[in-house]
Amino acid sequence: MNLLFEIGTEELPAAYVSRALAHLERLAAERLAAARLGFKTIEAYATPRRLALVVRGLPEASARVEEERRGPPEKAAFKDGAPTPAATGFARKAGVDVADLTAKDGYVWARVVHEGEPTARILPELLTMLVRDLPAPKKMIWGAGDGPFVRPVRWLVARLDGEVLPVEVFNVSAGKTSRGHRFLAPGEVEVDAETYRDALYDAYVVADVAQRRERVVLETTTLALSEGYEAVLPEDLVEEVTHLVEWPVAVMGSFDDRYLELPDEVLATVMIQHQRFFPVRAGERLTNRFIGVSGHQPPDLSVVRAGYEQVLEGRIYDAYFFWTEDLKTPLAEHHKKLTGINFQRGLGTMADKAERVREAAQKLAGKLGLDEGVLREAAALFKADLPTQMVYEFPELEGVMARAYAEKQGLNPRVAQVLEDAVRPTGPDAPLPETPEGALLAALDRADTLVGFFHLGKKPSGSADPYGLRRAAAGLVRILGRTGWAQPLEDVLEVAAATYRARGLEVNPEAVQAARAFTEERLESLLTEAGLPTLAVRAAQKAPSVYGKMLRARLIYELMQRPEFVELTRLYKRAANLALQSESAGEPDPALFETEEEKALHAALQPTREAVEELLQRGSGLLPPWDPAAPLPETGLAPLEGPLAQILALAGALDPFMDNVLVMVDDAAVRENRLALLRGVRDALGELGALELLGA
Amino acid sequence: MLFQDLILKLHEYWGHYGCVITEPYDTEVGAGTFYPTTFLKALGPELWKTAYVAPSRRPQDGRYGENPYRFQYYFQYQVILKPSPADVQELYLDSLRAIGITVEDHDVRFVEDNWESPTLGAWGLGWEVWLDGMEITQFTYFQQVGGVDVNPVSVEITYGLERIALYLQDKKHTYDVEYAPGVTIGDIRRDFELEHCAYNFKHVNAEKVRRWFDDYEEEARRLLELELIYPAYEFVLKASHAFNLLDARGVLGHAERQAYVQRVRRLAEATARAYLKKHYQEVAK
Repeated sequence: MNLLFEIGTEELPAAYVSRALAHLERLAAERLAAARLGFKTIEAYATPRRLALVVRGLPEASARVEEERRGPPEKAAFKDGAPTPAATGFARKAGVDVADLTAKDGYVWARVVHEGEPTARILPELLTMLVRDLPAPKKMIWGAGDGPFVRPVRWLVARLDGEVLPVEVFNVSAGKTSRGHRFLAPGEVEVDAETYRDALYDAYVVADVAQRRERVVLETTTLALSEGYEAVLPEDLVEEVTHLVEWPVAVMGSFDDRYLELPDEVLATVMIQHQRFFPVRAGERLTNRFIGVSGHQPPDLSVVRAGYEQVLEGRIYDAYFFWTEDLKTPLAEHHKKLTGINFQRGLGTMADKAERVREAAQKLAGKLGLDEGVLREAAALFKADLPTQMVYEFPELEGVMARAYAEKQGLNPRVAQVLEDAVRPTGPDAPLPETPEGALLAALDRADTLVGFFHLGKKPSGSADPYGLRRAAAGLVRILGRTGWAQPLEDVLEVAAATYRARGLEVNPEAVQAARAFTEERLESLLTEAGLPTLAVRAAQKAPSVYGKMLRARLIYELMQRPEFVELTRLYKRAANLALQSESAGEPDPALFETEEEKALHAALQPTREAVEELLQRGSGLLPPWDPAAPLPETGLAPLEGPLAQILALAGALDPFMDNVLVMVDDAAVRENRLALLRGVRDALGELGALELLGA
Repeated sequence: MLFQDLILKLHEYWGHYGCVITEPYDTEVGAGTFYPTTFLKALGPELWKTAYVAPSRRPQDGRYGENPYRFQYYFQYQVILKPSPADVQELYLDSLRAIGITVEDHDVRFVEDNWESPTLGAWGLGWEVWLDGMEITQFTYFQQVGGVDVNPVSVEITYGLERIALYLQDKKHTYDVEYAPGVTIGDIRRDFELEHCAYNFKHVNAEKVRRWFDDYEEEARRLLELELIYPAYEFVLKASHAFNLLDARGVLGHAERQAYVQRVRRLAEATARAYLKKHYQEVAK
């Protein structure tokens, strides 16, 4: 038997349609299986106004199954051969006669038969629950409390072969008719599993998502090509447009080419964000064309085109107005207006922030070997685009506009690039700064935010993060990780704290520590998402720089994959603990060794130290700085075998020492000498990280 | 169709449907949603149908009249149907036909737009309605108002009157729209718009408006204590407008802006609770 089930709705959110398609297919398969209804295929369809399923090859009835159900223990079920209430109760529940109970393995058993049930009787309830249980990020109620569903449900079709199934959800009863295109084929269309796709197509509804998507792409591409251009087809936009229309018809229009003076990013943002239009390219740059995809084919498409053009004209005009207005003022003058924008109560204005970042950048620039001239010039304009009208209207163009205005006003192109970089990354997977000067400003901007808000005690709690501190911290470790700067994370935050203190805001060291710990948590979360074990990352946090932490976490992970490492960390943990008892700091003195074990451990220390050093050195060559939000580098680590083996070999000397040598002897000189050996172990391996966290 | 006839046609259409045609309110609001006939009436069990013109002020949206579509002062046409009827989309499309838009000739689309008013503690799901790419209507099923879940659900239909008139009269700029015979919108509003833009963007006395905000907030609280819901709500609206002025003046940083939004929201939520308590003895969840 073949089933057609269609949920007719008011327009669904475009972003939901493709997700709903997957949910519907999966949920239906699960529920059918649970109802013991086999099937051959499931097809799912979706448009803005409908979600539908066609299930083929359903049986007439669900499968008949037999089940052996275990009852009470035999002893409790029968007394002197007569059934007890435990036995009769069990038999009644299982729906069998007491006489039919059997005994096995000390229990009584009932043979329960689930007879098959007609499919037509199972489906109504199953389909009702499918509608109710379809997952959605946000559901609504309507009318006098119907729902919840994603949008109001207005009709249902439920047909098993020719029969209409009695399904009723949210006060809507299923029938055998769907609805065609709102304008091209208004009214009802009779459909069933066999005719669904074609009948709707004839009613100007492309129900098949892949087919509709293909049509959007094909129509758009062809139309652009017809004038020798190339349509720009961002994946997200294609997806969205596909789910905005039931019957895609591409329409190309144009706009005044004086607007081409605007940067491509601005034009594309206006077209895509406001109108869901596809930008059109002539070579490298955009041209004064756009393509909109209409959901309807009216008698005269030029009416639609004229409408599109007029509305886009208004939108671009707005952007152009901002552009020309903003350009009347040099960036340096815009920068002065930062005094009028508050950053956060208690932390001053954006001008204060920009000034702090500038000062911090100057302190660090020398140490990092950056172009101080470029940095000085860029830092003096940092955030200058924030008070511009364009950025007010399109916040996502921050940075892009600083670059564009700087270029237009004839500033050093390198400075312009740094200004664009300085806001990066703008999202969890967004690109990082390309210039080191931009990276420094971007990092210090985030450090300034973190230190400032932790000083105010505004730490995010739970999932709430109203000030974007998680984003700031993730951005900070991504930048520092990718640049590979050796500057300790703590120093970066401390430099930011010092700029607050220089202005009379006494940021205390605890706030800096809290900000550091919070930032390290973000790093941990990024690295564990990339596949490193939590413990490896925690142990590696001991390294001061972000890249140092990342490299060590990766190397510790490499060690963790070797079985000998378990033993080594166990021994190391004991050794490092004991070493804490040491009261001096000298090197071990071979003259005081009394046992072979001491001599052997002493002999192993230097090679271990060297191996650790070599591991880190070669490791950093193989694993150059990377973005911790990106997948782990896939470099083979075979060249590290030598030092890895050497490090693991330390267990051979450490094990007998820990087993056979009494460290805490009365003789103070011997005791301190043995502790000095253990300190040597701790110092050698500790360079890799807090390995004691890994010891059992 | 003259601008004033557009309003009359909509009045006629929705009046026949059964809406109470109410007159504009007299306190500055950012949108028709702020009217007590929407904000308060959407709360509680009472059924209600209304339609009205809502002159709206959005200081931030002013462009000195240079943008054909964007103004700091414009008219919304607001319809509230509680509960939302099953054929509401068709009703709406018929209303477009009633004002002379042959929907079959255009690309009319319902594009998701989940409306949220952070200052009103309200949100709803629905769409922007696009006519050949131009947003002409907001269509929203309220889910929460003043922080309170609503049931029965009101549907709010908000027409952008100027935009629709541009279309109907085939004009490029709102100022060219004929309001009455021989009188354009530009004749009526040009100076008003210019001067208010100058005020909003350059001459708002931020220090003073901050003080006003504080006073309005305090007054609203005091009146809520006295269970004078409507007067209290008026001060919530005034506070909201004061915030909008500060926002337009460009003196609010992100965090401070958020703080103001929260303050208005708390007032709106307190008002909603007080209203339900007073009129329906309902204690909002």
